[in-house]
Amino acid sequence: MGQVSVKEGPMSDAIIDQRAGKGTVFVRTEICKGCSFCIDFCPTDCLTFSKEFNPKGYHFPILSAPEACTGCDLCGLYCPDFAIYGERWKDIDERKAKGQPLSVPATLPPPAQKSVSQHPVSADPKGVLTGIHFVDGNHAACEGAIAAGCRFIAGYPITPSTEIVERFASRIPMVGGVFIQMEDELASSIAVQGAAWGGKKVLSVTSGPGFSLMMEHIGLAVMTETPGVWVDVQRGGPSTGLPTLPAQSDMMQARWGSHGDNEIIALVPNSPQECFDLMIKAFNLAELYRCPIMFMMDEVVGHMVERVEIPTADKIQVVPRKFTTKSKQEYRAYATTADDLVPEMTKAGEGYRIHVTGLTHDERGYPSLNAATQDKLVKRLIGKIRSHAADLVDIQEDAMDDAEIVVVSYGITSRIAKSAVDDARQRGLKVGHLRLRIVWPFPAARIRELCQKAKVVIMPELNMGQMVMELERAVTSGTKVVSIPHAGGSVHEPEAILKKIIEAAS
Amino acid sequence: MTILPNTAPTLLRDIDSINPVMPFLRQERIPHIWCPSCGIGTTVNCFTRALTESGMDLDQIAIVSGIGCTGRVAGYMNLDSFHTTHGRAIPFATGLKLANPKLKVVVYSGDGDLTAIGGNHFMHAARRNMDLMVVCVNNFTYGMTGGQVAPTTPLGAKQTTMPFGNFEAPLNLPFLADACGAVYVARWTVFHVRQLAKAMQEGLKKKGFVFIEALSPCPTLYSRRNKRGDGIDELKNYKQNSIVKHGAETKDVGLTFDGKIVVGKFVDRERPTWLDAMNDHFTQTLGSKYAPYGG
Repeated sequence: MGQVSVKEGPMSDAIIDQRAGKGTVFVRTEICKGCSFCIDFCPTDCLTFSKEFNPKGYHFPILSAPEACTGCDLCGLYCPDFAIYGERWKDIDERKAKGQPLSVPATLPPPAQKSVSQHPVSADPKGVLTGIHFVDGNHAACEGAIAAGCRFIAGYPITPSTEIVERFASRIPMVGGVFIQMEDELASSIAVQGAAWGGKKVLSVTSGPGFSLMMEHIGLAVMTETPGVWVDVQRGGPSTGLPTLPAQSDMMQARWGSHGDNEIIALVPNSPQECFDLMIKAFNLAELYRCPIMFMMDEVVGHMVERVEIPTADKIQVVPRKFTTKSKQEYRAYATTADDLVPEMTKAGEGYRIHVTGLTHDERGYPSLNAATQDKLVKRLIGKIRSHAADLVDIQEDAMDDAEIVVVSYGITSRIAKSAVDDARQRGLKVGHLRLRIVWPFPAARIRELCQKAKVVIMPELNMGQMVMELERAVTSGTKVVSIPHAGGSVHEPEAILKKIIEAAS
Repeated sequence: MTILPNTAPTLLRDIDSINPVMPFLRQERIPHIWCPSCGIGTTVNCFTRALTESGMDLDQIAIVSGIGCTGRVAGYMNLDSFHTTHGRAIPFATGLKLANPKLKVVVYSGDGDLTAIGGNHFMHAARRNMDLMVVCVNNFTYGMTGGQVAPTTPLGAKQTTMPFGNFEAPLNLPFLADACGAVYVARWTVFHVRQLAKAMQEGLKKKGFVFIEALSPCPTLYSRRNKRGDGIDELKNYKQNSIVKHGAETKDVGLTFDGKIVVGKFVDRERPTWLDAMNDHFTQTLGSKYAPYGG
């Protein structure tokens, strides 16, 4: 601990050579708020209020009966403003004789340096269940998380996502990690953030109403730049809706559900295999961008059983956390550079004495509640993702070469869309298919590019028209946009999509 | 004893000395935001004395707060500190502790934060015997938002949202903690600084869910609105009306507007922590297949 500000400000100027009592008090008069706790509870009544005021307008304590002061420091224990304390002359002299400058031990030297490199490394083989499996999307997503290095899940049961936590609970004791079923989704979505600051890679899982409950903590993760993956196995809503049936109606909630301006990344798998593969990607993106990653499954993908191939650990690339290499003195928890808007991280227990808050904060992480800090922080939180929008494009293109009609889809709906597009192609229609695997940030620029020649773009989705609004903004003004909404509870009939393609072609 | 040389007049400000609380604070953030004669700062003094006495490595202590006046404590402490969302300090602390069991995790928050919006988490962390020390500064009101009724507000007390006096029965926090399974339960007031510091010191050393309630004045809202005087008057009230009763039945320690205040160490028992129970259970049931978890 460096020198402290005891000598700043108008400390008492008393000449104390006389040493009337066994001890004395030290007062930082400028921070005193005049509560009189020290004066009233001084066991020897040696303090009184000053006649003069401090700069805040308070009378402060003075040692009016120095001969009575024992230096017991009860005043120091009472003072709610840390403005007064007492010390015995004996202790002061002993310390001086020993050459100890201060009455408290200095803090420890900076901890050993770690790597800041984020070059991908091979997955830990302990967590990788290499082989061919016949499992549903929920189980595959869980295996993806374990393979990606997830060692802490806090969850709360909710249909249709529960199999993910059930599998983790049975798998993790053999891998080395923790599963805890919390008392609600609010708890689970913040327990994972505590674990992230304890150094773990983390995941939280939910559906429907649980996703609504988690919104506040998704905002916290945005604000505190806590890496983690949030899985939403979408079911029909609003409210309790259709617990056992599919929907894609949380797409806008994933993006905008938490209050305040923010930017997140959302991935959408359409098969159990992709639940595994994209989950690895989700964890890696969480580490690269230090933001919550939304993993937007749905009931059908979650419960659909298919072949899932899990490769050997050396074939799975995992991005390590961006732990700082800076010394304790240099490290500022939220400092970034112009080229890299993602700050270096640390974890509790490393001696950095970090402060992490959901309040608007400066580079040290300290609350700083003003427009200038807010502007700088929010622009960076958003900028660190928007400036990498091109890196975050993940679109699967199919039959796009001569396409005049383009079906744009994501998640489970893309499987039905593909069947309709294949059917239309057989009928000789010039139709292509774009499948979005990352939906947020919405790949507007790339879609505009791909759909330049398209006369009509069609978007089927299991909601009443959510992502289609983004699509409308993305395509050029001459392109017609057709929405095929569906309220959820089942998937589209391929014929419904085919019909719109035929209509567009005629 | 060495006597300072008397060759020149010695000014108090020239003596190499430091307020013992200062090394524990982020000094660049002082003065703090708390009102004159608020007791939260006093509890912080007690906590820092407890940290000193415990001799623990401060780098291995983390403090987690929720939202509100007491929720600001984490931000002033020179420890790894986390200022989380309203009511959720305990589940955050749960995740932190389980991710790194070597840490001593302290939750420091107010009565509204911990027992109203965070009541569910409080209950379940105590039930699980999560290894956390929870310090609840109870000032009977929501201070940060302007003095609304809290689950701890005594019957009859006026609050901005109970303008004609509170008619809801308050929670008895030690009873709640006891009933849910806390292994250490104590209540002190900010008048009882030495006892509070000692309780915190014991709490830091205790394994399992520790609950320490510290009654503290909110002079600006609770005391003023109820014509109870200033902070110092509340402390004098604590002095006059407190009864020290170690081992008291927690069901009997509920608080009233102007009645007696039972203080003391009510519960001190042993129970396996969540993590110990997990490790023991998996070792027993899974044998050599289990990968023992140490963080």
